[in-house]
Formats: sequence, C-alpha cells, structure tokens
Amino acid sequence: MSTVILFGTESGNSEFVAGNVADGLPAVSRVEDLAQFPVADFSPDDLYLIICSTYGTGDPPASARPFMAALDREKPNMTGVRFAVFGLGDSSYFESYSRGSEVVAEKLATLGATRVGEYGRHDASGLDDASDLAVTWAENVLQSVEA
Amino acid sequence: MSDAASPSVAVVGSGPSGCYLAQVLRKTWPKAAICVIDRLPVPYGLIRYGVAPDHQGTKTVTRQFDRLFEREGVRFLGNVEVGKDLPLQALRDAFDAVVLATGLHGDRRLGVPGDDHPAVYGAGRVTRLANTHPDEAHDDVRLGRRVVVVGHGNVAIDVLRLIVKSDVDFLNSDVDDDALAAMMAEPVERIDIIGRSPVEAAKFDTAMVRELGRIEGVAFEWPDGPPAIPVDDGENRARVEALASLPTVGSGSARVTVAFRFGWSPARVEDCQGGLRVAFSGKDGETLQLDVDSAVTAVGFTERAGLDIARSEVEAPGADLPTGRLDARLYCTGWFRRGPRGTIPENRADARMVAEAVVTDLGRGEASLGRPGVEALPPDVLAKAVDFRGWKAIEAAEVGAARAGRLRRKIKERAHLLDIVRAGATNNREDPSS
Repeated sequence: MSTVILFGTESGNSEFVAGNVADGLPAVSRVEDLAQFPVADFSPDDLYLIICSTYGTGDPPASARPFMAALDREKPNMTGVRFAVFGLGDSSYFESYSRGSEVVAEKLATLGATRVGEYGRHDASGLDDASDLAVTWAENVLQSVEA
Repeated sequence: MSDAASPSVAVVGSGPSGCYLAQVLRKTWPKAAICVIDRLPVPYGLIRYGVAPDHQGTKTVTRQFDRLFEREGVRFLGNVEVGKDLPLQALRDAFDAVVLATGLHGDRRLGVPGDDHPAVYGAGRVTRLANTHPDEAHDDVRLGRRVVVVGHGNVAIDVLRLIVKSDVDFLNSDVDDDALAAMMAEPVERIDIIGRSPVEAAKFDTAMVRELGRIEGVAFEWPDGPPAIPVDDGENRARVEALASLPTVGSGSARVTVAFRFGWSPARVEDCQGGLRVAFSGKDGETLQLDVDSAVTAVGFTERAGLDIARSEVEAPGADLPTGRLDARLYCTGWFRRGPRGTIPENRADARMVAEAVVTDLGRGEASLGRPGVEALPPDVLAKAVDFRGWKAIEAAEVGAARAGRLRRKIKERAHLLDIVRAGATNNREDPSS
C-alpha cells in the first residue's frame, strides 16, 4: 500500500503543509497537486491523504478545480478507494472555513470512495500551526487504517 | 561562481511575488545563489503592510517563505533600495539575472479637479498606517465624523472595516492602535462607500461583505434604494444577496452608519467649511454632493514618479511584458508587471510564470553566466543590509512588546528597527561571509 498526499491550493499554503506532512511521515511515497493528478490513477491499493484549502465562500481552491472537472467528466469508479481529508481555511472570511475541502470529499464519496480517519481542519485565524496539526492528523489516520 | 545549473539571481522586492518567484527558482536550482532585496529593513511587502491587520490568517502565507530564508539558503537583504542605495545597473552587473517585484506603492488619484485636497487620503496610505509602515506619518490623517470611501474593491472594504470596527473587534490582530486613535480622534459616525460600478458588477468579494455584517454596532443603509438581486447565479448574485442581508438602520442601536451607493463617478472635490464637498455624477446625468470631513480613495495603485523604479525606463525595445521579460537577464513580476490587480494567489501564478521564463532563458546557455552575486555588491551596501536573522530579531521584539489583546506591536521608526538588528548582530557574532 502506498500513501499518497494530494493537495489543493491557492496560495501555496496547502502545498507547504503537504510537504511538511511528507517530511514528517516516512510512509508517504509521494506528494502531488490535485491539478496534475489523473483521476483514472486512483487505486484501492493506496491510501490518499487530501490536504485542501477553501476559496472565497466555500469553494475548492484553484488547483482543485481541474480535478473536480475531471471527476465530473470521467466519472471514475472509486469503489474501494480510501481517502482522508485535512481542510484548511480562514474563519475570518467564511464561518464554514473548510467547506472547500468538504466539496471535494463529497464528490469523491458520490463516486464510491470511502473517507477514512478523522476529518482534520485548520483555521488560519486560529492559533495553531497548520503543519503541526496536519502531521498529527496524518499519523492518526495511518494508525486508524492499520488497526 | 555560478553556471547554468547554479546561476546567481537577485529579486528586488520581498512581497508575495518576489518570494513566490524565489521559491520556484530554489526548487529548480537547489544550489543557485538567490538573493531577495527589499528597501525596508523587514521582508514581505504587502503581506505585512497591505493585508489588513485584522486578516492575520492571510498573513500566515509568510510561513512558506520563512523556510526559503531559514532553511533553503535564499538570502534576504533588507534596508537596500535599488535605484537609490544601489543602481539597478550595478545589480545587473553582479547577478546573472535580476527580477523586479517592487509592486505599485502609490495610491491612484481620483483624476478630478480638487483631488489633491489635503483631506483626500489614499486607501494604501490608510492601510499602511494601520499596519505601522515606517514611511507614513499618522499625524497627517484625520478622518473626522463623516467619511466618504470611493471604490468598490476589496481595498475599499478593508478600509471601511478598519474604520467601523471597535477596539474589541481587533482582538488578536496587530493593528496600530496609536494610528487608529490619531486617524479617528473623533469617532466616525457615518461612511458613504461609493463608486462607479453598478451593484451587480462591484468587485469586492462576497466573503468581505459577509464579514462586515458580523461587526457589532454597524447599521447599513441604501440611499439610492435597496439593491436589485441579479437573476443570474454565481458570484454576482451571492455578492448582492450578501449586501442585501447586511443589518439595516433601525434594526438595533448603531454607533456608525454605512451607506452603500453604486453607479456614481467622482466629478469634483471642493473645500467646504472645514471639510470637503465631493461631487459625483450618475450615468444619466444626475448629480450628488456629499459633505464630509474626509475622503478615502480606493481606486487602484500606481507608480510614484521619481520615487519608484519606472517600468517604462527599464523596458527594452524587445521587452515581452506578458512573459515578464524586460531586457536581457532582466524580468518583472507581480503588480509591477501586470498592474495593481489580483490578490496573493493571482500573484503566485504570475511569479511562477515569470520564474519559468527565467529558468528557460538561463538554461538555454545563450547568455554568459557566472556573475558572483552578493559578493560583488559594494561594501557600503552590504554593511547596511539587514539579513533574515536581523528580521527575526525585529519580529521577536515586536511580539515581546505586544499590548494586551494584540499579537505584536510593530515598530515604526526605521532607526529603532536598525538598532534592534545591530543589537542582535552584536549578540550573534559570526563569520560575515557565511
């Protein structure tokens, strides 16, 4: 089983966090931008950690939009595919600050994929460091999957 | 020494565009000598001085840039003004490539008679004051009781929000309380926010409007009638719906009233009994006069003649602005290249695009490479330069000086900033060539 991190970003924050999670977790085999990930490549053999921000009032970020469009177009069968989500956002702009990541998660679920682990969230207007939270989240997800 | 795999590059301007560009170059060339220069002793440009002080979440984008300077060998050279301390040509002689990411500092004027009235203030200036910019004196700005804000973009909404917020709304921000107190020595009672665009074409973000509605004690009114909700779906409709949902006058006790007006073009500014009269014309010839104590203009940013590097003066005949190429081994990115539009993510995309041009050109092997970079700069420039460690000493001092309910107390005086850097350097004696 490979653990793959996929990130969706506007400002590079999610990409930065994704890189830090990969640095902190030897199990992670690669980090890819959702914008560059072929939706046909999803495999039930692998575990996908999706780190994704929110744009505006609850939309997926720039690099997630081509991914969402590809899912709509190709409608891959995602039965057996497991993914976990860490959503970033800023509650000073939008109360439901990680809604962008939820939109991506919901789309994957409608195509048959299964969300595993805890839904991680980081509010930029809060006091926590996003990378610290995300590393802890990823460790917990891996543990719950192996259990 | 440098070569095609390891050229020397100077980026002028340490705001988002400059840092994003440095980020791509570092990823492409792990060993290149990359130097980011700023005229201020502190980095990060508009992230520190343009993003509103109550939008701390947006400012955390600096964490990814900190890594460039702290762990990835990109050098910060603060307190060096290219064009003043150091001629651009000297920089181009020292580095294989130079990228100008200096932004646009000046507030655009209204462009009507009287627009230079002393009580007409640029939004950039007001925001810089609230962000403790070293080059702004807050004694100069007095908003008074009645204010008109001209403009319908996010910058206008930022200024509006900073003016209407009360002290408790600034919890966990780093707003300059002294600047706010000076600008608002009298409490602001009424703000008209007005601009040319019709309501459905206003450029401010829906999220910014919703944020206004969450501030206690503010009532909104529609002197020209309530907004018509557009029939289309999407952002325009969401924006107008958000405007229409703002709490109106009469729905509680308000300490300040905000009136939204659309479809009015500024026509004239006149002095008027200790205040100003700002005249507007509507699209069908109607006229409107607002008698106010001050006007804040949020109608865009521009170069300041004689103070900033003028793009027209560095653009060679063969320049290709759409790709950021100004001249051989000279590039530009961000607002300096594309004009004053777009937030941080758009400038990230721009910087990444121009970085590709730099990588392509230098990798082609046509230009001779091998310029030494920082070491070739004049000793007096190197002596005055603030490095990233100096910035971290400033940051620690600002956090340490924070008042209750504030994240930091930013330091305004340049001399004070430099004193902290010097004191830190004395404590951290080390090989100056490292």
